Amino acid sequence: MPTPPLYQLRRLIHRYGDYTALSVDRLTIESGSIVGVAGPNGSGKSTLLKILAFLETAAEGEFLYRGRPAATGDPTLRRQVTLLLQDPYLLKRSVFENVAYGLRIRGETADLKDRVHRALTRVGLEPRAFAHRRWNALSGGEAQRVALASRLVLRPEVLLLDEPLASVDAASAALITEAALRVRQEWGATLVLVSHDLAWLNAVSDTVWTLFRGRMAGQGAKNVVPGPWQAGPEPGRRFKRLDDGQTLVATNAPAEIDLNAAAVFDPSEATVEAESAEVRDAEPDGEKNLNRLRGLLAQMLYEKSGTVLLYVQVGGLSLACRMEADDLRTRALLPGQPVRLIFPADRFEWM
Amino acid sequence: MDFLLEGLVQAFHLLLSGQEETYSAVWTTLRVSTGSILTCLILGLPAGFLLGFTDFPGRKLLRTVSDTLLALPTVVVGLTVYAFITRRGPLGEFGLLFTQPAIVIGQTILALPIVVSLTAAALEGLDARLGLTLRTLGADGRQVALTSLREAGFALVAAAATAYGRVISEVGVAMMLGGNIKYHTRTITTAMALETNKGEFALGLALGIVLLLIAFSVNGLLALLKRKA
Repeated sequence: MPTPPLYQLRRLIHRYGDYTALSVDRLTIESGSIVGVAGPNGSGKSTLLKILAFLETAAEGEFLYRGRPAATGDPTLRRQVTLLLQDPYLLKRSVFENVAYGLRIRGETADLKDRVHRALTRVGLEPRAFAHRRWNALSGGEAQRVALASRLVLRPEVLLLDEPLASVDAASAALITEAALRVRQEWGATLVLVSHDLAWLNAVSDTVWTLFRGRMAGQGAKNVVPGPWQAGPEPGRRFKRLDDGQTLVATNAPAEIDLNAAAVFDPSEATVEAESAEVRDAEPDGEKNLNRLRGLLAQMLYEKSGTVLLYVQVGGLSLACRMEADDLRTRALLPGQPVRLIFPADRFEWM
Repeated sequence: MDFLLEGLVQAFHLLLSGQEETYSAVWTTLRVSTGSILTCLILGLPAGFLLGFTDFPGRKLLRTVSDTLLALPTVVVGLTVYAFITRRGPLGEFGLLFTQPAIVIGQTILALPIVVSLTAAALEGLDARLGLTLRTLGADGRQVALTSLREAGFALVAAAATAYGRVISEVGVAMMLGGNIKYHTRTITTAMALETNKGEFALGLALGIVLLLIAFSVNGLLALLKRKA
């Protein structure tokens, strides 16, 4: 009998009052995987983590853990999963007592000192120098690492990290990343990482999901074009005037979608070409349904699959396209180069 | 101004000479104030915890009542308790009037709102991330509550110190319910009132200084506890 996935979410909806904070049609997280969740502020990332940590109960939908319905507040389940908050809180105690807290409340006090010291070492904090420090005698990066050590010492089955690198220096970020990733190697833990930093997520995760306004925009990097749109003369045709005066065209908007809806398209649908004198501004006949936007190649990210994500700054938006690494080398594209981002106007998914 | 200096000298003389009447008042003050503050903490900490940490119908009303009672005049407490424990009162049969337990009851009523309100305020003022953090580390409801109390430790010590200050310095309750009986219910404050009425300003001042020394010692001890916490 196959092992069920660690988490299965189906038609899950979570609300705060009348506001729908999260609506997930389907999400599966396999045991031992590293899953990244990207998305802007207010997209529901932290809400998703709280549900995965059994700290909040979804209003509707199916939430299975190891194939069984998971009850929020179940102490046994809650002790298998731990969440590191974006802005961690340290108890008004020494570093040692902070790291030991989770073990003490579980009654696991055997080898306490060794376990705490090992956890501190994992996050790059020398136990002799840090164990007796007060909670208020730490830098932001050190506090974040103590908070991570407090979770690693518990050897959780699932480690959920909410923006773990948001407010730490580069050295702390590297140590946190290394310590977090090692838990999968050492005891096969599953990691769910939430971050704005798509480059970091792509580098460390097996899969990356994108959330936008509480809904899953899809797996992997996605281009999200927020509303408002202008309605075109033909049914399904929408326009969006960009900050630099260019116009983005969508031709497949369903009738029921309002003008404030966000449209999503996959970077694999888009391509870039170097800006040159021959490139036309006007839409030639036969290309009416093609967007050809002038932009600046801002960033390139190598993906594990051998492809490269190219981010193009276009009129206040950052839009990605995916290219084969070999193809990129042939075309000699470099960051800072003016380019044309080309993608079909009928490949949008509407949210 | 000489009487001020004289009072200071007399205060040390009173403490060092081992005068029985003075030590009786000091001892009575310590006994009743300790009894009152312990009763306040036993009743007030859980009540303040409920008001500050949990939510239930009527919580806001109770919180307002507790805050209002912070301004309770000592004579009102004295008079009300007197009405209950006098021989004609509903609790008259227990013979509490003009005893040290009567002072403890009055002082407890006086200081209880301080412990309740300041405890509630301390818990309401805890960082909103605390509860969530403890639950992410696997704490259950009881562990969250106990750890939250400990996290509010500084503020709880301050609440106890404030309540103790109210108890040790009040005179109305001790006078009305204790009766200022020499070697029995005479506290430092009632002795001060008596000596001042007799025109013995220096002695009254000396007793006041003794009271301040006691208060200073207690607060010094609490400050030590705070630092240790």
